Amino acid sequence: MISESVTTLVDELSKLPGIGKKSAERLAYHLLRVHESEALALADAIRSVKENVRYCRSCYNLTEHDECEICRDSKRDTTQLCVVEQPRDLIALEQPGTYRGLYHVLLGRIAPLDGIGPEHLTIDALVERVRGGTFSEVIMATNPTLEGDGTALYISNLLADMPVSITRLARGITSGSVLEFANKEILADALAGRQKL
Amino acid sequence: MSSEKATAIVLRVIEFSETSSVVTLFTREFGKVRGLAKGARRPKGPFESALDLLALCRIVFLRKSSDSLDLLTEAKLERRFRPAGGNLSKLYAAYYVAELLNELTDDYDPHPGLFDAADATLVSFASAGEDVASALVHFELTALRETGHLPTLAACAACGRDVEATGRVPFSQRAGGVLCKSCRSGQKQIISVSSSVIAALARMAGEDRPSSSGGGLDARTYGELRGVLNHYWTHLMGRPARMQRWLPTPVDGTSRTD
Repeated sequence: MISESVTTLVDELSKLPGIGKKSAERLAYHLLRVHESEALALADAIRSVKENVRYCRSCYNLTEHDECEICRDSKRDTTQLCVVEQPRDLIALEQPGTYRGLYHVLLGRIAPLDGIGPEHLTIDALVERVRGGTFSEVIMATNPTLEGDGTALYISNLLADMPVSITRLARGITSGSVLEFANKEILADALAGRQKL
Repeated sequence: MSSEKATAIVLRVIEFSETSSVVTLFTREFGKVRGLAKGARRPKGPFESALDLLALCRIVFLRKSSDSLDLLTEAKLERRFRPAGGNLSKLYAAYYVAELLNELTDDYDPHPGLFDAADATLVSFASAGEDVASALVHFELTALRETGHLPTLAACAACGRDVEATGRVPFSQRAGGVLCKSCRSGQKQIISVSSSVIAALARMAGEDRPSSSGGGLDARTYGELRGVLNHYWTHLMGRPARMQRWLPTPVDGTSRTD
């Protein structure tokens, strides 16, 4: 009853994460309703992203050039390297504007139960980068989950013999919260990572 | 929908949306439970980041009557799993525990004994000085016993007669244990196992907890024993376990204690 083009569009939209059949149909009918230029702008944006965006050859951040903006910035501190799981983690860490070092994006975390091993990530490139670079500190900023910690641990073992200090992001009580409502694990982490005033 | 409370070990967490996760839990009271945890990935909320892999937590969930996922409404962290001394062997062994629990159990089929064994094994991996290989083998044998898959190690799996444990002993995955000489012929999927490994398996299967002396597994015995168990799990699961290649090797399995 529905045209083949609409069915194809619904099928393609329903492949997006978090979009079910009903949502896909709603989006498809919205695209049919709006002005042609608006709908085609979306198509052009998708095409442009797929054709132009690639991984930075140094850090594996997303970029439209060979190297990303951060790697090309001569004002960045080349002695610090922050290791993150995904480009979106890099964006989150850039938001406070306090970190001025470089990054390395792993493009995932070691998750053996999901069939993801070190060979699926950019760990070899990271080791080569540290070996041949000017870094004095490698900051492990993988997610504070068991798999994130396991990935950080695996990498820190690989870098153990290199002349760099390996640090991990602090964890513990959120600023502005109260101790009374923090769970025991958070309190234990906060005590373990306490700082000198 | 009825609201239930349980103590659970988190076996698997899959990102479902920006903030929600689909989690698989092994509960003491109900067995395996799969549910949707809305907002689980937010640091604040009813889950408080408790739904991390292998964490022990108290959960509240709404049990669905249909085949759809249950709905988790609350999780309170009791204990987060972290391997002692940052030991990767212990981390991978713990992942293997999660994989076996997930593969070996069915939804809403409780095994409190298996839950307690898994919990004790994870506690041991989080403690310094535990022999990873022995603790893991002990858990595997407990898991096989609790689910009714423990192979027969003294009597012939085909005819029930005592098997003479000298030299090498035929072990049939399909029959579910050792075979006597007369039953060996005509059987398929048979491996030849040294009698010392069969004796070690029988001894460890009879122990309530891993031997405090480290299990007494030398590298050679552990290597062969690992091979037997890997074959047996592959037969039971229909494929090799994902964590198989990550498990302690005969070289590091008995030497690393931290």
